[in-house]
Amino acid sequence: MLNKLEAIREAGLARISEAGTLESLQEIRRELTGKKSELSDVLKSLGSLEAEMKKTVGMKANEIKNFFADKIEEREGEIVASASVIDGEIDLTLPGIPVAEGALHPITQMCYDLNDAFLSLGFEVYNEDDISSEMFAFDNLNFPADHPARQSMDTYWLEGTEDKSGAERLCLRPHLTGGSVRKLIMDGVPSRFIYPGRVYRNENTDARHERAFFQYEALIVDKDVTFSSGKVMINTILEKVFGRKINVRMREGFFPFTEPGYEIDMECLVCNGKGCRVCNQNGWIEVMPGGVINPNVVRAAGYDPDEYTGFYTNIGLDRLVMMRYGVDDVRFFHSADLRFLKQFK
Amino acid sequence: MNISLNFVKKFVDLPEELTPAQIAFDLTMRTVEVEDVINTAEKFENIVVGEIKEVNAHPNADQLKCCIVDCGEDELKQIVCGGSNLYAGEKVVISKPGAYVYWHGNNELVLIKESKLRGEPSYGMICGASEVYMEGLFPPKDETEIVDLSDVDCYVGQNIAEVIGMDDIILEVDNKSLTNRPDLWGHYGVAREIAAIYELPLKPLPELNVEGLPEYKVTVHDPERCPRYTALEIENVYEKEAPLWMKALIINGGMRPINAIVDITNYVMMAVGQPEHAFDRNHVEGAHINVRTAKKDETLTLLDRSELELTEDDLVICDTVDPMGLAGIKGGIKDSILPETTAVVLEVADFTAAGIRRTEKRQNEKTDASMRYEKGVDTQRAEQGMALSMTLFKEIFPECEFVSYADVHDIPTERSVIDVTQAFLDQRLGKVIPEETIEGILTRLGFEVSFDGAVWHCIAPTWRSTGDVHVKDDVLGEIARLLSFESFEPTPLHVDFEHSVNQPQFSLQRRIKEYLAFRCGFYEIFTYPWVDEKYLKAAGTDFSKAVRLAEGPSPETSTLRTSLIPGQLESVEKNLRYFDSFSIFETAQCFEKGEYHPSNEIETLPIHKNLISGTITGKDAKTIFFQVKGVIENMASYCHCKELTFAQKEKPSWADSKVWLNVICDKEIAGSIGLISVSAMNEAGIKRTNVAAFELDYDKIPALPSRDNEFKHLPTYPLVQQDLSLIVDESMTWAQIKESIKFQVKDIWFVEEYRGEQIPEGKKSIMFSIKIGNDDSTMTSKQIEKKMAGIMKNLKTKCGAELRD
Repeated sequence: MLNKLEAIREAGLARISEAGTLESLQEIRRELTGKKSELSDVLKSLGSLEAEMKKTVGMKANEIKNFFADKIEEREGEIVASASVIDGEIDLTLPGIPVAEGALHPITQMCYDLNDAFLSLGFEVYNEDDISSEMFAFDNLNFPADHPARQSMDTYWLEGTEDKSGAERLCLRPHLTGGSVRKLIMDGVPSRFIYPGRVYRNENTDARHERAFFQYEALIVDKDVTFSSGKVMINTILEKVFGRKINVRMREGFFPFTEPGYEIDMECLVCNGKGCRVCNQNGWIEVMPGGVINPNVVRAAGYDPDEYTGFYTNIGLDRLVMMRYGVDDVRFFHSADLRFLKQFK
Repeated sequence: MNISLNFVKKFVDLPEELTPAQIAFDLTMRTVEVEDVINTAEKFENIVVGEIKEVNAHPNADQLKCCIVDCGEDELKQIVCGGSNLYAGEKVVISKPGAYVYWHGNNELVLIKESKLRGEPSYGMICGASEVYMEGLFPPKDETEIVDLSDVDCYVGQNIAEVIGMDDIILEVDNKSLTNRPDLWGHYGVAREIAAIYELPLKPLPELNVEGLPEYKVTVHDPERCPRYTALEIENVYEKEAPLWMKALIINGGMRPINAIVDITNYVMMAVGQPEHAFDRNHVEGAHINVRTAKKDETLTLLDRSELELTEDDLVICDTVDPMGLAGIKGGIKDSILPETTAVVLEVADFTAAGIRRTEKRQNEKTDASMRYEKGVDTQRAEQGMALSMTLFKEIFPECEFVSYADVHDIPTERSVIDVTQAFLDQRLGKVIPEETIEGILTRLGFEVSFDGAVWHCIAPTWRSTGDVHVKDDVLGEIARLLSFESFEPTPLHVDFEHSVNQPQFSLQRRIKEYLAFRCGFYEIFTYPWVDEKYLKAAGTDFSKAVRLAEGPSPETSTLRTSLIPGQLESVEKNLRYFDSFSIFETAQCFEKGEYHPSNEIETLPIHKNLISGTITGKDAKTIFFQVKGVIENMASYCHCKELTFAQKEKPSWADSKVWLNVICDKEIAGSIGLISVSAMNEAGIKRTNVAAFELDYDKIPALPSRDNEFKHLPTYPLVQQDLSLIVDESMTWAQIKESIKFQVKDIWFVEEYRGEQIPEGKKSIMFSIKIGNDDSTMTSKQIEKKMAGIMKNLKTKCGAELRD
């Protein structure tokens, strides 16, 4: 009898370890420990045995039953651990399911990056309207009356106003700077604001020239500002855009609305200042003009230039985005071409 | 503009150790932007002076000669050459192996190597002018002529660049950086800057001496436009070539040598920035120059005998009969120097910038002269130009005679007088500059200065007084730039913290754009404010309201859009070439005729609208329409603006006859959504797809001051969801169904609409789900049954709905 039990135990263990699924294991459990199992038969037949044997066999049979229970549980654990939700084969190299598409225009992305930097420095945002007048676009900014930029070959004048002058001659704004005087008139000094936007010039387009492009201008007006503070503002912009400190240099530049005016060059990122094709071999790239606000502009806004001064920084967003990503044709920005726009997330 | 350092060296001695790169850098930092530095000698490498010793026949070719040449090397060399003017003893230009030349007028450079020509060895090449960039200096008479240097001061083996004055450095200056500096449109001005930067002495220009000359007759009728006119009558001159040194400097300065007389005028212009003109004296009828504006219907005969039509605003230089030249811009046939010319009248005049610019624009003509006049030339400069010209005429035409002179100087350029306090300089510069430094800088730049211990009294030079320097900030600018902006340490900015910057409408705009891009899957685009009329028409633009440009990019793109939809249509049409379905949006200002006064009553701008518009393109019209509706429906809650609802009030011009809705905010129409109409799509060329659009006016959607989320307690007792499928009349709307049982349910949402086989004609099936529940207990099945019966009763009576089997 004990031999038989041993055989049951061996056979049962083999069955358990063969079980591949939870269902078959369930089946095996019934076979091995159920009412109709061999083990059950053995226990049922105990009555016919003498007392000593009965006890031994009974103990043995129960021991095997427990053994089966343990082994089945153990096997069950193994099966669960190795089970998969997926039946059959799966190619894990298939691509993931795309997330919703969509993106801001790379110019807007750049603009928002800069806004974040300037807003953290306590600047306000201001927007002048796209259509302005000669008074704000030129007169207030100290452009001489016969300055070439006032001609229709440079500026888009509105039909019906092109032969008037001053506040009555209207144009698509040729730069953002005109808005600075509006803002100063409206909200007073001291003042600290950025005014990003699109500007328009009547010119022929090519890979480097556009009729509509984006600028980002910042102005601080206060008492006792020295022109060299402008450098701090410039570093802020470039560090934000490129994510690290960028070497810049400040050199002579001229704009009617500044005195002194300067051009800011940044070290060429392609060659790190060594000189390459991109920077025309001189290691520097012109990125933005700036300068101390011209006293006539302070006066146009209604303040005393002996008391108040300040400085401008103006940056061409198109150019900056072109440098950031290596875009080689400015006309892409107004192309609305999704093959281009989808590259910028 | 090209700055030749050889030219500059005529006015200032540059120290040996000063490299061109250093000069370019210092000029860039302090004066003008130097874009490139070109060494003109580079291309003459391995090109030297040689002497022909023998000219022998070529055994295999009649047209070729075998020349034995001394090119300064250890032994004589044989060079095969087809030149027509070869002779023993002739000094010639030899391109040795390693030189690059243009091969017989080809446009590509060829490397010279030792080779054989028709069987004869040839060491290099005896060159014609066009082969070695010398046509300007040695104009060839015919194609086979080689350059004969026998009359030129040179020695065998000498590098040709040295011989012909091409051992020069050219600084290419960005013209834009020169616009405010009329004084830098001549090499003397640049020399003055270099002298100031390096504290070097500047050589003086010759003084004008016209004493005793009788007067030449000049009448200036419009002194406002011609503040000074000087004229010199010169006899015994003729058409010949200018000396090599002058031609070289003219070429390196960016112009072309023509003949000695014209070259002198151009040389002087390049030297001091004063344009000049030489008229053939015999062409000046009546020996009397009149400077006046053109008469009505007057014309100027040009060199090619064509007639230039003049207006009464064009200033012309006339004799007693008719115009000879367009003042300050270009001459006509009468002022040309011809082979028969023997005497000239040299004009050195000043014309004011504004008039020059007007005529330049009208005649669509810009010349080297007009480019200088349009920057504003001081009247005193005429004297410099005249004096230098006289020196040069005497040098080049020693036999010439100055016979008469005129100087009509009605309005001299006044020197700007500026007082600047030391305190102002200290404060604005952010550091104290020593007195002698300030004095040195200003003096070297031509200012006369005196200092009384507190105030600098500065008299600007005339060449900076035509608009460039006139206030104390200009003086500060001069000091700062000469010291170099880089020499000033950046000063940190001090920020007074008063309050946070809170601009809700700006923030809303950004939230809406980010919502569209990041949540709704739209790509942001930019298009031009001027749109091709085709798309404006397609979108149903009311042209009577549209603002137009006086001179747009093209006649078809001169109207400014009144809505962003035309640009959307154009962009959809373009992108359909590459994509089937996509979503795009744009934000921009649009304009309409009207009155808006942002500053004062005089400044009357058109109406500005800040719009945002987007489209979804896709095959299934209904789907994309409801996608757009979903975008707008959810906008308020995601972007935190006032609630947006829908109603049909005013159909937008671009919308489908049936499928459109106005978007209502604060009881006002804030925009519209809809499908693009069939006709609009046809006109825009959009085929085989559908487009749903929205357009909103930002200014009609007030931002909420902060996030507007509201917390509600979670239901204490479970809610029961029931799905319903009804059959209703086609005319029954979801809004009516929802309204009819709104008060009986905790929540209700639309699932699907269905028309098909099992649904009778004129009916439709609507599926939706509701949640019901008690506030104070769990619903029993009896309660649920009762509730549902009540709901069905309402649906039946109010909506005529039947449950679908």
